[in-house]
Amino acid sequence: MNRGTGGGAVAAGFSLLFFSFLFGPLIIMVITAFNSSSFPRITPWECFTTEWFGVLFANDRLMSGLLNSLVIAVSVVAIAVPVGLAGALALSELSSRLRAVLYTVLITPILIPGVVLGISTIVFWGALGRSVGAEYGSFFFSGMFLTLAGQVTFVSAYAMLVFLARLQRFDPILTEAALDLGATPGQAFRKILLPFLAPAIASAAFLTFLASFENYNTTVFTILSGNTFTTALASKVRHGTDPSLSALAVIIIGLTLIGAIVHEAYTRRKEVLRSGIARRSRIYSNPVLKTLVHPLTVFLILAGVAAFAAYEGTRHDASVCKQQILDDKRARQHELLEEQRRKMQEQQKTVAPVVSPSEGPAKANPSPFGGAFSPNGLTPGQNAPASSGTPAEAPATANPSPFGGAFNPGALKPSP
Amino acid sequence: MQALKSALKEIAGKHGLGAATFVGITVMIWVIILIALPQIAMLDYSFRFNLPASDVGGPQDVYTLENYAYFFQGNDGTVNTLDIGILVRTLVAAVFVTCIDILLCYPIAFILAHSATGVAARMMVIGLIVPFWVNEILRAFAFRVLFGATGLINGVGMSMGLWDQPVDFIRADVALYSGLTYAYILLMVFPIFNAVEALDRNQIEAARDMGASWWRVHWRVVLPVAKPGIASGATMVFMLTAGALAAPQILGGPSSLWFTQLIYQWFNESANWQRGSAYAVILLIVCISFVMMLMRVFKVSIGEIGR
Repeated sequence: MNRGTGGGAVAAGFSLLFFSFLFGPLIIMVITAFNSSSFPRITPWECFTTEWFGVLFANDRLMSGLLNSLVIAVSVVAIAVPVGLAGALALSELSSRLRAVLYTVLITPILIPGVVLGISTIVFWGALGRSVGAEYGSFFFSGMFLTLAGQVTFVSAYAMLVFLARLQRFDPILTEAALDLGATPGQAFRKILLPFLAPAIASAAFLTFLASFENYNTTVFTILSGNTFTTALASKVRHGTDPSLSALAVIIIGLTLIGAIVHEAYTRRKEVLRSGIARRSRIYSNPVLKTLVHPLTVFLILAGVAAFAAYEGTRHDASVCKQQILDDKRARQHELLEEQRRKMQEQQKTVAPVVSPSEGPAKANPSPFGGAFSPNGLTPGQNAPASSGTPAEAPATANPSPFGGAFNPGALKPSP
Repeated sequence: MQALKSALKEIAGKHGLGAATFVGITVMIWVIILIALPQIAMLDYSFRFNLPASDVGGPQDVYTLENYAYFFQGNDGTVNTLDIGILVRTLVAAVFVTCIDILLCYPIAFILAHSATGVAARMMVIGLIVPFWVNEILRAFAFRVLFGATGLINGVGMSMGLWDQPVDFIRADVALYSGLTYAYILLMVFPIFNAVEALDRNQIEAARDMGASWWRVHWRVVLPVAKPGIASGATMVFMLTAGALAAPQILGGPSSLWFTQLIYQWFNESANWQRGSAYAVILLIVCISFVMMLMRVFKVSIGEIGR
C-alpha cells in the first residue's frame, strides 16, 4: 500500500538506520560503563566491572550540583507552569493582531540563544542590584536566584506551548453553560477549565522540570561560581573523562526507560478501558494477566529488576580480573624491555666502533622516542656544521639509557 | 492598550476577576521584567567601557562603540578576520547541520505520519523521545566515546584494516557535526510530523493514480504541506545550533571555536563582560536577521513556529 510514496522496504530500512543513529551512541556509552579501562571505550575490552558507579557517587561536586539542580528545577516548575498558563490564557483571548505580537514576544526566549539569555539576566539583575545599593551577598548576586530568573524566562514558553495546544481543543461553550447555570466566573474557571487542563499541567510540569534540569547554555552563566548538575558534568567532561560518566548515563537511561515503559502501560490501559474492548480482549479478561499489565505492577517489576541488578553489581568484584590484566601488561612490558636490551647490546657491539658523528646516535639509541631526545638534539653544536663532531658528542653516542641521554651531563653543555 | 483592556475584561467575564488579575500581572512581569528589560540592559552594557567597580557610574562611565569596533577591527585597526571568521564559520556550520537534519527527519516524519501504524508508530514515537530525556552533556559525551582516538569507530576501522593510524575525528569536526545533528533531531521531526499528518492520504493516492512517480508525489504534494513544519523546525534547529555551547565545548576541535565559545571566553576568562555582551548582541542580531531573511524567502511567518 505504500508503494509509490517511498514506503515498504525502503521506509523500514531507513527507519532502522535512523534509529540506530539515535540509539547507537547511547548503547555504546552504556557498555563502556562496565569496562575497567580508565578511558571510556569498548575495544580493547578489559574486565567487567561496576566500580565506576562507586567513583560516580564519590564525586562530591557532581552530587552537590545534583542537589542544586533539583532545588532549581522544582522552583522553576512551580513558577513556570503558572506563568505559561497565564501566557496561554492571555493569548487565547486577545484579538488576532495583538495576539500575533504577543506570541512573537513570548516565543522569542525559546529562539534566542541560551547564552544571550544568561548574559542578559546576570547583567540586568546585577545592574538592578547596584542601583538599589544591594550588598554583594544579596539575592541579586546569588547564582541560584539568577538561574531561576534566567530559566523561568524561556521554560515558561515551553509550558505555554503545551497549554496552547490543549486550549485549542477546549470547547468554550462548556464555560458558557456553567455560567448560564449560575456558576460564578471563578467557579467556572476552577471547575471547568482547570480540570480540562489537568493533563496539560502534568505534561507541562514534566517538560519544564526536564528543561530546567538539563539546561546548560543559560545556567553556565547565571549560576556564577556555583554548580548545577549539568555544569558540573560539563566541566568534568571537558577536563578529562572517565567511565563514571558512562555509569551516570546507565542510571539516567535506566530511569528513563522505566518511566517510558510505565507510562506506556498506563496509556494503553486507559485507552483499552475507555474504548470498551477490555471485556473482549484476552489479556483483560484474565485476572492474572490483567494485574500483570497494570502500570503499578509493571513499575514494581521493573524497579525490582533494577534493584536486584544494583545489588548484584555491588557484590561483583573485578579485582582478580584486573590484577590479571595488570600482570599481562607488566609481562608484556618486561618482554619488550628485554628485547630492547638485547637489540641494544648487539648494536653496541657492531656499531659503536665505527660510529659516525652524524648518524651514530640515532642508530644506537634504544629509546622508544626514536632519538628525539638524543643528546645531539640538545647540543647547540648539532646544527652548526662547523662544530659537528666535537668531543662533547663522542661520549654520548653509545648511550644505553632509555632516556636517550637526556640526563647525560654533557647534553646540555654548550659545545666549545 | 484598548485591546489589552478589553481582553482582560473578557477574561474577567469568563474566568473571574482573580484569574484576570493573575493573567494580567503574570504576563506583564514575564514580558517586561524577564524578557524585555534584561535584553535592554545587555544592549546598554555592550556600549560601555570595562571599568573597575569603583569607576562605575563615575565620569568615565560613558557610552562607547569600542566593543563593537573591536569585533570588526581588532586592536590594531585592521579587519578582525579571526572573530568574523568564527562567526561566519558558526553560521555556515549551523546551516549545514540544519540541512542534514531536514534530510534525516523529513522521511522519518513522513513514515511516522503515513506508513507506520499501531504498535510500530507508538514504538517510533517513544524511540524518538527517550534519547532526548538523556542529558545534553551526556549525549555529547557519547559522541566523544564514539569518535575519540581510542573510540569505537577508530577501533573497528583499524582492526578491519581500513586505516592504520587513528583518525582524528574530533579535530576534523566530524564528531561536532554529528553531535549537533543528533542533539536537535527531535525539534525537527515533530514540527514536520504535525504538518505532514494534516495531509489527506487520498491526495497521495490520487497523485499516484495519475501516474506521478514517488519523488514527484513528494515534491508536488507532500512538500508544500510540510513546508511550514520544515520552516518551523529549521528555525529552531538553526537558532539552537548557532547558540549551542555544550557540544562545541566538548566535541569541538582544539583549533576551531564556536562563536558562543568566544562569548564565553570574554565573560569567564577575560572578565570583560561588556565586550561579551557586545558579542552576544552581535550573535543575536545576526541570527535573527538571518532567520527573518530565510522566512521572507520561503514565505513563512513567525506565528507558525512552535505549533
